[in-house]
Amino acid sequence: MNREGAETYLRVLAESQLRGPMTAARGQPWPLAGSAKLTMVSQALTAVHALEGEVAADILADLDLAVSVRQRPESPIPPPSAPAGTTGATGTTGATGATGARPRPGRVRFARTGPMIRPPAWPSAFPAGARGPERPGPERPRPGAPDRFVPVGLRIPYRDEVLSGEVFLMSFAHTASGARFAVAWRVHSSFDPDRAYPGMVPFGDFAVTDDRGRRYHLDFAGEGPDLYGEVELRPEPPDDLRWLDISAPGGRSVRVEADPAALAAVAEPEVSPLTLSPGEQLLITLAERLLTVTPDLPPDLRRQLSAMSPGPLHIMAAGIGDVIAALQAADVLSPLSPVPGQLAAVCAGMRVSGHGITAPPAYDLPEPWLSLLAFYQRRKPDTPPVPDGYAAVAAALPELDGIRLALLGLLNADGSSWIKLLARGLVPESRTGPFGIDYYFPLSFWIRDNGGRWHAGRPALVRQAHGEWVVKLQLVPPLARSTTSIEVLAAGSSAQVRVRLPLRWGYPQ
Amino acid sequence: MTDGPNGRWFDCLPSCQAQVPCGAGWHPVRWEAGQLRLPEHPDAEAELVLAALGGEKAGCVRLAEAWGRHTSDLSVLAIGPRGPADEIAVGWDDVAAAEQAGPGGSGGFLSGLSGAPGLPGLPRWAGGPGSPPAPLRRLASPPQAGGLRARQQQGSAEAEQARRRRLDMLSLLSLGYGFQLRLAGQVAAAHAEAPDATTRPALVAAITGRLALIAEQWLGIDPGQVAVSLHSGPGWGQLELAGAGDKRQLRVALPASWLARVWACGLALTGGQLVVAVERAGWPRARVLALRAPGADPVPLDVHARGADAPHWDV
Repeated sequence: MNREGAETYLRVLAESQLRGPMTAARGQPWPLAGSAKLTMVSQALTAVHALEGEVAADILADLDLAVSVRQRPESPIPPPSAPAGTTGATGTTGATGATGARPRPGRVRFARTGPMIRPPAWPSAFPAGARGPERPGPERPRPGAPDRFVPVGLRIPYRDEVLSGEVFLMSFAHTASGARFAVAWRVHSSFDPDRAYPGMVPFGDFAVTDDRGRRYHLDFAGEGPDLYGEVELRPEPPDDLRWLDISAPGGRSVRVEADPAALAAVAEPEVSPLTLSPGEQLLITLAERLLTVTPDLPPDLRRQLSAMSPGPLHIMAAGIGDVIAALQAADVLSPLSPVPGQLAAVCAGMRVSGHGITAPPAYDLPEPWLSLLAFYQRRKPDTPPVPDGYAAVAAALPELDGIRLALLGLLNADGSSWIKLLARGLVPESRTGPFGIDYYFPLSFWIRDNGGRWHAGRPALVRQAHGEWVVKLQLVPPLARSTTSIEVLAAGSSAQVRVRLPLRWGYPQ
Repeated sequence: MTDGPNGRWFDCLPSCQAQVPCGAGWHPVRWEAGQLRLPEHPDAEAELVLAALGGEKAGCVRLAEAWGRHTSDLSVLAIGPRGPADEIAVGWDDVAAAEQAGPGGSGGFLSGLSGAPGLPGLPRWAGGPGSPPAPLRRLASPPQAGGLRARQQQGSAEAEQARRRRLDMLSLLSLGYGFQLRLAGQVAAAHAEAPDATTRPALVAAITGRLALIAEQWLGIDPGQVAVSLHSGPGWGQLELAGAGDKRQLRVALPASWLARVWACGLALTGGQLVVAVERAGWPRARVLALRAPGADPVPLDVHARGADAPHWDV
C-alpha cells in the first residue's frame, strides 16, 4: 500500500478543485460537485486504510479555508487610510508595485467552512446500555458447546383481555451470548387497532418449559417499533436442549424443536477462495450500492429509472473515476484489475453518466450483477409490494474475513424483504464511505431464489447484542412469496461461501 | 534549507511592510531578510511577560506569534496564494469577525468524515434524482455520561484549536500578498532540505498547484495536464512534454527548494521562460537557470527586478 501516493493524490486533487474558485468570478459559489468529488475520494482512501482520517480531515479543512478566503461576495468596503507603500488589507493599494492595486477585501464568509475538527474516535465497543453493563460477548466461556441455529417456522397465537395477535418464531439461536428466538408478530388491540408496539406483546405471560421440565421466560430484545425482533430465553438453557414447549396466554402450546440433529439436514456451505484487493472490494461495494439504490428513490423515479437518459443517478456517480485513480495511486487497485471496467458496465447498464471511469465497460459481469441489471432493464424496478410473510431459515456460515454470519430469518414486511443475521467479528467503524457506505458490514451478500433471480442484501441496520451483532439486510428486489428455496452467496475479500436453504413461509392472519 | 553557494532562499526578495491593528491604532510590521520585525515593539519579549501577568497582548505581538507558529506549517502552502493572479482577499475586519464568532461552524467537508449519517459534503438530494442511499441505521446503547463528557471536552478543545488556527491564518493572510509569498517561502524552505513521506505529498501538491498555472501561461497547457514529482539529487530536475491533445502531459520533476527559491521570489516565469533554479541570488539582480521550451537545456539568465512586495523580474 502506498500511503504517500494516496495522500499525494488527494492533495493534488484538492489543488485542481481550488482552481475553480481561483478563476471564477468573485461571489460565485464554489461548485458543490468539487467538494463532493473530494469527499468521495477521501472517503474511499480512508476506507481502504490508505489514508488516516485525520490527514484527510486536515486536507479538506485546508481546502475549505482556501476556498473561503477566495470567495468575496460583498462589495468592497473603503479601506482605512494607511501609509502609502504598505501592503496588506489596511493598505490603500494592497500589494504595491507591478502587481498593481488590489481591491479592498470584503468579509470572508465561512458559509461552508467549519472548524477543523477531527472525526471523533469511535469506541472499540459500545458502552453499557441503559439496562446495565452488557453481558460478556462471545468470549464468555462455553467450552465445547457449538453454536446452534435452528429454523423454527411456528405460529403462536395469543389473547388476553385487551390484546390479541400472533408471534411467528422464525429461528432459534443459542450462542455464547445466549439463547434467543428471531420473531415477528402482529398485535390487535381492542382500544387502538391501528397501532402496534413490541411492548404490547405479553411475552412475560408466555410459559416456556424444556424437555426436562425447566421453566424459562421470554425477554423482548428488539430494535424499536418494528414488528419483528428477537426475544431472549432466560435463564440460558443447557447446551443439549432438545425442545421447548411454549404456551401463550389464551392460546395453545406449541413444541419447538431446538436440536438441529432432529431436523432434516441442509447442504453444507461451499467455500471458495477469492483474492480481492482492498480497492477491488471497495469498488464492488460501490457497484452493489449502485445496483441497490432504488429503495432510496421516490416511486416516480424508480419506475422511470431505466428509461431516463441521462439517468437520474449521474450525480451519485460523479467522482467514481477519481476514486479509481486514487485507489491505483495508493497501490490498492491494480491497473490490470477487471473491476473498474465492470463498474463502468454497471454504470452503463443503469444509464449513469459522468462517472469518469476511463476503463472501457467490461461485460463479463458477475451473475448477480447481471440479474439485477436485467431487473432494471425490464423496466420494473418498482414491483408491486410483496405481502407480509415470514420464512423460517437458519444457518451458520463459515468465517469470511474474520466475520462469522448466521441467518436468523427472512421476512417480507412493509413491501420490502429483509433478512436477519447474527454476526460476530464486526468492527465498529465511524467512517462513512463513498455513497454513504457503512463499513460495519463489509461483506457482499446475495440471495438467489429458486427462480434463478438474484437479490442483493443491503445493510439497513446493525445492532449490538451482547457482544454479537444483529444485522438486518434489505433485499433488492424483494423476494416473492412463491420462493421455496434460496441460495445464499456471501463474499469477503479472501473467500466466498454459498449455501442452499429451504424456506418455510408463514403469513399473518 | 541551508545557505548554499547560490545564497539564501530569500536573497531575491526585498523587505516589505504592512500595517496591522495594534491597540487603538495601526502599527507597521516588517519582513526583512527572512525575519518578521515589529518596529513599534522593540522589546516584544518583555511585552509577552507582561501579557502573561495579565496585561493585554499587543496586536503586533499576537501577529508575530501567529507568524512563528506557522513558519513550518504546510497548510500555509495549501491555503495561501498560487500566484499573483490568485487574489486572496482577507482583511482585518474578517479577522475581527472571526474573533467574534464562536468555535462552532457549519461543517463544510469535515462532517463527511465524522461518521455522521448521510453524505455530508455532497449536494443536498432531498430525495430527488440520484438520492444517496439511506444510511445504515446503527442502534446502540446510549453512551455513559463520563465518556460523553470526555468526548465533549475533547470536542471543545479541538474546536477552540481550530478557531485559533483559523484566526492565525486569517491574520497572516491579512498582511497581503507580499507577506503571503514570504511566509510560503519560509514554510517551503523549512521542509526543502530533507522532505520525507509526511511532507512530500504536501510539497508535491504545492508545486503542482503553482506550476500548473505557470505552465498554462508558458505553454498554454491545461493546468490539469501538469504532473509534478519531487526531484532529489544533483541537477535542477527534469521536464518533458508528452502526448498530444487530451493526452498531453507536462511531466516535471523539481526539487522542493524550487518553491522557496524560485516561486516565492516571483521568479517562476521570467521573460517568457520557466525558471528552474537560481544560480546567484540577489536583489534586484540575480542569475537564474531557465527553460525556453520543454526539452531544451536550461540556460543561465541575468534578471533584474522591479516592484517591491511582489517582485516582477525581467531579463
